[in-house]
Amino acid sequence: MVFAIQRPGMAKWLEKLLEGGEVIAPVRGPCGDVVFSTIRSPAQVIWDFGNPLHPPKRFVLPQTDPLVTIKRNGHRHEVEPIYDDARRILFNVRSCDVKGIAFLTRMHEMEPADASYLRRANRLTVISLACTTPCPPGFCVCTDSGPFLSDGYDIQLTDVGKSYLVEVGSEKGEAAISVVPSLFRKATESELLKRKKLETAARSHFGQETCHFASAMRRISTGRVQDSLWDKMSDWCLECGGCNLICPTCYCFSVKDLRRDGTWIRCRMWDSCQYAAFTLEASGHNPREHRKERMKRRFFHKVSAQYYTRDSTVGCVGCGRCIKVCLGTTDMPAVVAAIRKGKWHE
Amino acid sequence: MSTVPTTCPFCACGCGFYLLANKGELVGVAPSETHPVSLGRLCARGWGAHEAALWGDRLRQPLINRHGNLETASWVEALDDVTRRFRDLIAAGKSVGVLGSPRASNEENYLAGKLARAGFQTNNVDFCFHSICRPLFAGLEDVCGDYAPSISLNDIEASETILLIEGDLAQTHPRAAFSVMKAVEAGAHLVTIGYSRTQMARLSSLHLQTTPGNEGEVIDGLLAAVLRPGGGDRTSLAIPCEGYDALLRNVEAVKITEEMRQAADWIAHATRATFLMAPTSGYGDQTRNAAAALATLAAVTGHLDRPDSGLLPLLARSNVRGACDMGVAPDRLPGHQPLCDQRAQQRLQDLWGKKLPSTRGLEAESLLQSVSGLIVLADDPSAVLPMGGRALAALGKIEFLVVLDAFVTPPSRIAHAVLPIACFAETEGTLTNMEGRVQSLQVATQPPGEARPGWQVLAELCARFDAGVSYNSTTDVLREIAQAAPRYARMEQRASDDEWGGRWVKDPDRGKFKLYATGAAALTSAERPHVLVRDGAFDWGRDPLVSFSPTLSRDSQSQQKLFPNGFVEICKQDADGLGVPVGRQVKLTSVHGNAVVPIRLRADLKPGVLLVPYAFRDHVANVLGTDSVTAVKVEQA
Repeated sequence: MVFAIQRPGMAKWLEKLLEGGEVIAPVRGPCGDVVFSTIRSPAQVIWDFGNPLHPPKRFVLPQTDPLVTIKRNGHRHEVEPIYDDARRILFNVRSCDVKGIAFLTRMHEMEPADASYLRRANRLTVISLACTTPCPPGFCVCTDSGPFLSDGYDIQLTDVGKSYLVEVGSEKGEAAISVVPSLFRKATESELLKRKKLETAARSHFGQETCHFASAMRRISTGRVQDSLWDKMSDWCLECGGCNLICPTCYCFSVKDLRRDGTWIRCRMWDSCQYAAFTLEASGHNPREHRKERMKRRFFHKVSAQYYTRDSTVGCVGCGRCIKVCLGTTDMPAVVAAIRKGKWHE
Repeated sequence: MSTVPTTCPFCACGCGFYLLANKGELVGVAPSETHPVSLGRLCARGWGAHEAALWGDRLRQPLINRHGNLETASWVEALDDVTRRFRDLIAAGKSVGVLGSPRASNEENYLAGKLARAGFQTNNVDFCFHSICRPLFAGLEDVCGDYAPSISLNDIEASETILLIEGDLAQTHPRAAFSVMKAVEAGAHLVTIGYSRTQMARLSSLHLQTTPGNEGEVIDGLLAAVLRPGGGDRTSLAIPCEGYDALLRNVEAVKITEEMRQAADWIAHATRATFLMAPTSGYGDQTRNAAAALATLAAVTGHLDRPDSGLLPLLARSNVRGACDMGVAPDRLPGHQPLCDQRAQQRLQDLWGKKLPSTRGLEAESLLQSVSGLIVLADDPSAVLPMGGRALAALGKIEFLVVLDAFVTPPSRIAHAVLPIACFAETEGTLTNMEGRVQSLQVATQPPGEARPGWQVLAELCARFDAGVSYNSTTDVLREIAQAAPRYARMEQRASDDEWGGRWVKDPDRGKFKLYATGAAALTSAERPHVLVRDGAFDWGRDPLVSFSPTLSRDSQSQQKLFPNGFVEICKQDADGLGVPVGRQVKLTSVHGNAVVPIRLRADLKPGVLLVPYAFRDHVANVLGTDSVTAVKVEQA
């Protein structure tokens, strides 16, 4: 069922949600950036914003993620898992990020399932705000992850003027509106119609300059990308790893033990497959020694038919963050276009 | 979870980002789109900036040497010990000194200088990395009278021509390399001068290959090409140039290749041009001369006195500019004023209320060798100085060595007193990037154990040596800096409305330019036909910010493990010619001595050149001597 909430009711709802646990939403940060932050009052929530550059994936997969404590007990070691049991609500998340979290959850559900990740994800309620005006670098229409969603959310909000449309997509979503049921009513026909119009208008915002995955996928999957093209493109990458770290669907990590008060805490940390040392082996051998090999691997994982078949989507939600964060010029649309056209900077 | 805006502690590009902390511990880094330098982008180092503070081997408690062992002590005990020992050394007429650091804030460096000058009454104050960048600064000062750049990083993107004296910009300054890439993507001509075909060289329109140390020769060629009739329009020079006629005579006989003519044409006819130079290799005065020639080229083509055009010296470590500006030099006072400047001396004496020494002090390398008492602030001389092994040996011989650092380092292990201080994420302060932006460090988490902010410890030491006023905050220190260093005037007031990177050091007055050409000389001979060059790129692998970061330290740790005897890099053609397979050793002989080291292939080197990474320089110390480039004979070992 689709509900609606009047604009003034939003603050009341947020107040109730705040009573129940941590609410995280995009806010205007200390230096003008929009950042995801734990809010203390509904007044902090902003409604007109560009998507934060730093994605909300850290609330399911932190950059530094403690997994187990290791204690010495005589001649033995005791290993205890660390679980983050906090209940969190992600509020005003954009459609691409909802799809990003859904993608990560699918990956971590694969056997062997990742208990630490899933514990966090299962306790997270995702309330999204549909993008009535798509953001400039985004190309979510190419990845089926926006500007409006048909699944993946717990609740999807749409600003339809005097009220917000409230689409509930899961039990967690139902629980979130049940904290003050009186605020929600059945959506009217005109509200539903407005949503439809807004979605159509939003879709038409995307011009020709989008990201054409299909033809790039054909070339990548059948090994029809010239080696010399990877060579050329890799000279335009400065190996910062930013594309991986801010990517809502990247989840590569390394593991390191942190010493604290006589115990060791095994941490999972974000890593980047673009770093030379990511695949460096103890012998000194590196199967992906050259940058072009690492770059090839990244795009194979994200855009090949082999992975598409397994994941039922490309490894990209079209958020456009890699365009903003790339310290070179090898962001997703640029590389996809180069592969499709078979040329780079010509 | 807290989100704290701060300044990157790695290179001197001075990016900004948010440190993320959870329950008092750092957990990550988030980029900022609004920061004027980083604009949402960070390099690998920036992305891993939180790691060293979290994972590093941290100094938590003051340590003093009791009966030959470093043992924990209270702050009062440790500071008493340092005070007593330094007073005794000074009373006995022994020399003492202080080493500041580009890893420390402006406030810490300023107080380190004040402690030396007003407290210990000596100009024995310097920082180790100064020995690497001094020749570059000197060359720029020869021409422009100052080392300050005349262009910002963002200006590079709009350049039509970029001349890059290439070390390996993509590795050393990724943020600057990004601007160069953007310019090239937009159609700029990139001209690189260097001895290897690096990533930036591969992106260039023209790569002018040199032998190491002979960059100046190519710059002379470019000078000759622009100065000869038809070389370009020089009527637009707004600032007078001295030495023009002598320059014309000097470049008269210089050979100009067709490539040089092309590059010179691009430079001379560009409305906007950028000149970039890192402290590179060079022997003797070669780097200084090359820098002077580069500045001369920029001056005579009118790019030094034109907006959005100019020269930017590329500094490897975050606060090199700040350390220099704070007067952490044996011959300079705060504000980079010469020690011999009577008015500057007098102003400082009035401000500090003490008579100050006027004798020039010793530079870092000689200072280590000759003082009996030394305070080392946040640095490891053995990792930074060109002769690392010799520096560590010298530290070991110092009668009383005090180390202020956040991390366990080789000097902290052999010090007589260790004072634990906060790292960049745990203290307030400012850093000055290579452009001259004065940017803030902010507290994202508390220092571990009993560690204190470095500025507080230095302020306490100043007070104990009768050189102190009481400072309640870093703003108080910055207020004093603003009085001591004219180019930082009113900096503390501007701090109150400190937007990201909003404050700038005042530009120096550019009175006139003095012009120079290098007059390069040949290095190799029939007896020693090869050249061994020490890679000029700073060895981040031994900086605690990298070595303690699990993500960032992997490459350098792996190299150290795989090559315990170091290596020199060589091209395949030379290795085949010698009949030495990869991993086997060669014998290198120079006028200084010889060494036997394994070889590794490197595709972008030209025949005749061998390169030793800075990290492995001590393995060929006998061959290099005090040089960074030397002619060698190479044989099978």
